[in-house]
Amino acid sequence: MSVDTRGAAQEIAASYDSGKIDRRTFLRRMGLIGVGVAVANAVSLSPLGAVKAWAAISGPEDRAWALAKEKAAAATKKSLTLLIPTGSIGNMTPYVDKWKNELGVSLEFIEEPDEVVHTKGMQEAVAKTGRYDVMMPTAMSYPDWFDSGLIYDLTDWTEKYQPDLFNKEWGVVFPASHHAQLYNGRVVGLLCDGDQITLLCRKDYLEKPDKAKAFADQYGYPLDAPKTWKEYYNLAKFMHDPKNNFYGTLEYRSRYYCKWMFMQRLASKGSLWFDQDMNPTFNSPKGLEVLEDMLAVNEFLHPDAFSFTWSSNYNAYGRGEGFLNIVWPSGFKYSKAPSTGPATTGKIKATVMPADTLPDGTNLYAGMFCWGYGFAISKYSANPDLSYAYAQWMTSPTISADAIPYLGGYSDPYRVNHMLAPTERLIETYTTDYLKILYNNIVNTVPDFCLPGGFEYQDALDKEVHACLTGDKKPKDALDDAAQQFDRITRRKGKEKVRKSWFALTENLAEPIKIATGRGNWKL
Amino acid sequence: MLNRPLSLAQIPLIVIGLVLCLFPIFWLVMTAIKPPIDWNASPAIWIPSEPTLINFRTLFNPDAIRAYGVGGVSQAATRAVMGSILASISATFLAVGLGLISAIGLSRYSRTNWATPLIILSGRMFPPAAIAVPFVIIFSLTNLMDTYPGLIAVYTAVTLPFSTWMLKSFVDDLPREMEEAAMLDGKSRLMAHLTVTVPLIRGGIFSTTMLVFILNWSEYMFAQVLSNTELATIPVQLAKYVTATAGTLYGVQAALAVLAMAPLIVGGYFIQGHLARGLTFGAIKK
Repeated sequence: MSVDTRGAAQEIAASYDSGKIDRRTFLRRMGLIGVGVAVANAVSLSPLGAVKAWAAISGPEDRAWALAKEKAAAATKKSLTLLIPTGSIGNMTPYVDKWKNELGVSLEFIEEPDEVVHTKGMQEAVAKTGRYDVMMPTAMSYPDWFDSGLIYDLTDWTEKYQPDLFNKEWGVVFPASHHAQLYNGRVVGLLCDGDQITLLCRKDYLEKPDKAKAFADQYGYPLDAPKTWKEYYNLAKFMHDPKNNFYGTLEYRSRYYCKWMFMQRLASKGSLWFDQDMNPTFNSPKGLEVLEDMLAVNEFLHPDAFSFTWSSNYNAYGRGEGFLNIVWPSGFKYSKAPSTGPATTGKIKATVMPADTLPDGTNLYAGMFCWGYGFAISKYSANPDLSYAYAQWMTSPTISADAIPYLGGYSDPYRVNHMLAPTERLIETYTTDYLKILYNNIVNTVPDFCLPGGFEYQDALDKEVHACLTGDKKPKDALDDAAQQFDRITRRKGKEKVRKSWFALTENLAEPIKIATGRGNWKL
Repeated sequence: MLNRPLSLAQIPLIVIGLVLCLFPIFWLVMTAIKPPIDWNASPAIWIPSEPTLINFRTLFNPDAIRAYGVGGVSQAATRAVMGSILASISATFLAVGLGLISAIGLSRYSRTNWATPLIILSGRMFPPAAIAVPFVIIFSLTNLMDTYPGLIAVYTAVTLPFSTWMLKSFVDDLPREMEEAAMLDGKSRLMAHLTVTVPLIRGGIFSTTMLVFILNWSEYMFAQVLSNTELATIPVQLAKYVTATAGTLYGVQAALAVLAMAPLIVGGYFIQGHLARGLTFGAIKK
């Protein structure tokens, strides 16, 4: 259907809705349009015609909106139900009225605690109630959800309606575009939240002349935000002042969070989580070095580091209780806002995650893409096309840029245009400098365990790393035990199946990381 | 009852015991009346200098807390409170009622001494999580998912073995001769139980009711698994007070927890005489 024809159809529908024409006239006119479109299609279009027709509509949001209009008009059930994590609703509620008023579609949100969303999905895979249309898990959920038949493969939809996921100017930033949306090379979710970790430090302390002099005298290089993990350690040590309730760093040591701290450092050393044969790689000299480094930093940690959740961590940093912190983009927002960062507003310097120095002397910058919500479409939805249209519309370049800055939601920048061509509201929320840092960091991110059994791998690693950091286990024992559990999970899930996914997941990495990890030489 | 004064050694032990028991409640109540800025304050603020009811107001008007710069609370707790009341009272009534019938039957008319009670108890012999998914499947097929009748049925099923066993111990301790005497006076079996057994074990019934009610009132897992939008209970609602702007809303959670404690404290106060009697009933054997 061309844009003009669609416009005509919309006008007729609007006239009918407002009572200007009767039902008979409405059906006759729509019928005429339908015949016209059918003839045009038959005469002019190749098999790719439909794709071209949709692509002709100006942008992903327009294509999504056109699809939504078409499907909303045809739908018998005029509502969409979204399963979302508690706390994320703020990015979606501003559009509820638009969907209701212009499409007649009500949006119903089922909020569940973050840790329950995956379980609710698996439950739905068994119960098949059709209660959810759109579901908003982290990318970690996709493999298990897809394999259990819960969610659609969105690839055909994305080819037809072109959400511009991989566009160089406004697509989702590579490689998160692949790690957080694809499973075995197929699109299974549309990312709506750019969760990566970045480093914050206190600018006001860096600018103190006495501190700068003392630091330079002690370490032989100027006081600045850390570029390497070695510099990070030095800074944590130098700034640590527990007598004044000011600690070197607020890096997480708590359960659920500490594995990401470990994985981040491991990636900086040029190591992924498995080799090409699905052998765990972390129970190695590199993994041991990482744990030793983390144990060394323990001395300069905030005393609550072993019990931090993201919110208590942000609050402690916002109260001015430390120099360094490793945060998701929301952490920067917390530190910037006077209400949540009373002691840090205007005093923050952010940077990409520190590098590690490889044996050849080069610095390897790596980031962690972790958490990161996205939209998946339930196979038991009564309105899958309409659900997809909603997901594409919400994650489209312009609507997402509008949605992210709203308060009360978890969405953080994830498309190129969010970071390199931001709107005023995005700049106001994140600042131009921080958006550039987000971009520079995300291009080097490595994926989380977005594999079958991903949560099991994560938990096994987290448990053992935590046991080591709390002193319950020696580093080697902890890593060997985690590796043993990894092998069990791999065996149980099916080695070839997981290996295939691992290859697909790691196929897209930043070039330096590909080289450092040797991923480029792997053979399936 | 012994009525001698406490020794000097006993007093500190009692004080320590009281502090241990009452400190969490004190902390909960204080958090419930703290403004958001004080929830996570470091060092901790024990007693807020500016107490507020904003957390309680937020329970019923989610936008109220926006005045403190906290957004993203989307649901009032009204439905959860009503849901907890409905599900807990109904399930408790059913579990204790059916449990009482079972207890009298097992105590007075069962031909086997151990098999039937053990089978009834088998419902409590595995972790509740093991039966959660089967419930989801069955309830999906029977349209009981996300409904109060469904949740009430589960709560009843889960607490029935508990109430049966507890009540059976009270009936066992009551001499049969008392019911037989009533029957000799011309009462039917049913009337003998209603006019003799039940009144004489009413302390046990009250204490069982209270304990079953507490189990239902504080239950989280089944309510979480079996609910979507229609069904809500207080424990499920408690887990939902997380926002992107302020993280976990400890003050609002504390306010709801204080509210949730109220019926238990009030109920416990009014039936404390029966509770004490029920819990010690049969402690001295013939």
